Amino acid sequence: MTLAERLAAYLTRTRGEPTFVENLARISGGASRETYRFDAVTQGGRQGLILRRDPPGSLIETDRRLEFLAIRSFVGKGVAAPEAIVLEEDGAELERPFFIMGRVDGGTAASPFAVDPYGRHAKAVGERFFSILGGIAAEPLKGLPITQAAPRPHPEDCWRRELDYWSGVALTDEQHPQPIVRAAIRRLRRKPPPPPARIAVVHGDYRSGNFLHDGAGAILAVLDWEMAHLGDPLEDVAWAMDPLWSHPGDGRISGMIPRDEGLATWRRASGLTIDEGALAWWSLFASVKAQAIWISSAKAWRDGGFAEPILALSGWYTARRQDEILAERLLAMDTA
Amino acid sequence: MTPSLPDILMGQVVALSAPLPPEAAGDYAAGRAAILAMLAMFAAQEAERGFAARLWENGALRVLFGRAAQAFDGELDGRLAAAAAGADDDFSLSALDRTNADLRRLLIALHEAAEQRGDATLDRRILALYQAMAKARRLDLPPTP
Repeated sequence: MTLAERLAAYLTRTRGEPTFVENLARISGGASRETYRFDAVTQGGRQGLILRRDPPGSLIETDRRLEFLAIRSFVGKGVAAPEAIVLEEDGAELERPFFIMGRVDGGTAASPFAVDPYGRHAKAVGERFFSILGGIAAEPLKGLPITQAAPRPHPEDCWRRELDYWSGVALTDEQHPQPIVRAAIRRLRRKPPPPPARIAVVHGDYRSGNFLHDGAGAILAVLDWEMAHLGDPLEDVAWAMDPLWSHPGDGRISGMIPRDEGLATWRRASGLTIDEGALAWWSLFASVKAQAIWISSAKAWRDGGFAEPILALSGWYTARRQDEILAERLLAMDTA
Repeated sequence: MTPSLPDILMGQVVALSAPLPPEAAGDYAAGRAAILAMLAMFAAQEAERGFAARLWENGALRVLFGRAAQAFDGELDGRLAAAAAGADDDFSLSALDRTNADLRRLLIALHEAAEQRGDATLDRRILALYQAMAKARRLDLPPTP
């Protein structure tokens, strides 16, 4: 059976009515799951949906239940999360674990390689981008679905938990000695940041390219919640501003707005202040985490028989660019 | 560095030879083709500059080790001196990478030792070298609309 036929069989069984799958098409969408768009067609009408299925091998080992619950935590709360519909952890008819979300039509995700991805709407997109991120940080945890799956760290432990995990990924998956990221890891351990003012939901991959915009300044959906967790909200701010997502010399965060404007918007939306020392720590951490992902990507590409070109691009070009960023940051911190 | 240029080229063969399922046609296939094109562009840069970058890095590390060897005692001193006296005599990418891996492991040990003894001068010299190493291996992405 084709994937479309298996998906139709699943929907027919679970919905209790004949359901046909039309226009099934794989799309790019996150590196850790296969993503497909499709229409579910019944006598009652047509529904646009997204399928996220575990691949045979994955760039990042992430918890699909956590991703599902993270999305569900923010539906209808002004942060443009799509509707989380159903989660099948045993894979059912699709053989591998998956979940289905509502589809947001009419938007596009910016290419990470585009020089001016938002054109004359850059300021509006940037303000909305940091406003949504502040909204995620401001959301009270009590009763949020994500708290069913995500452990709540002690504020003093936020940095250590993240650094332990991502440095472990980098060191375990390293195939050629990586002195630059190792030096950054040691630096982070020597000078940890202060604890956050409060524990918040951290999206984990909040950046340009991971949201849909309408081409006129509005953000329609925030995507790729697969690394969501609870922690220090500055982690997301630092990740969103990593130079990797911006063109050198542009002066704006991901072609949107200048750093200071973005941070001011985030402060207003989150109700939080920003400790610049803490932000510097999380910024270096963001580059370490990113490099860990690229190192892991290179290993996954090799282990997977060179099948997925995106893993090669991440593990090669992106890893080398990240090394430049890490080296610049280490030298700048040493000078400061 | 990983992946190596032969890996990248072998990956092109694998990716272009394997048929995609029907549901992967369209936008996904177009995006995949764009990535393969980008990888080919970077492979051209690596073919032009990759050998020189490795030779330069290996040489720069040996110079660093030669200077640092006098300042350290014991086992590290001997390893630094031995590495500093080495030379590249096999100019295949795989041989240069094997040598580079050994030298980089020693660089990591040297940097850790410099940090432990609080040697700010050597620490800064190594950080500056990291920047030069990263720059030498960069792959240039032309502006895209």
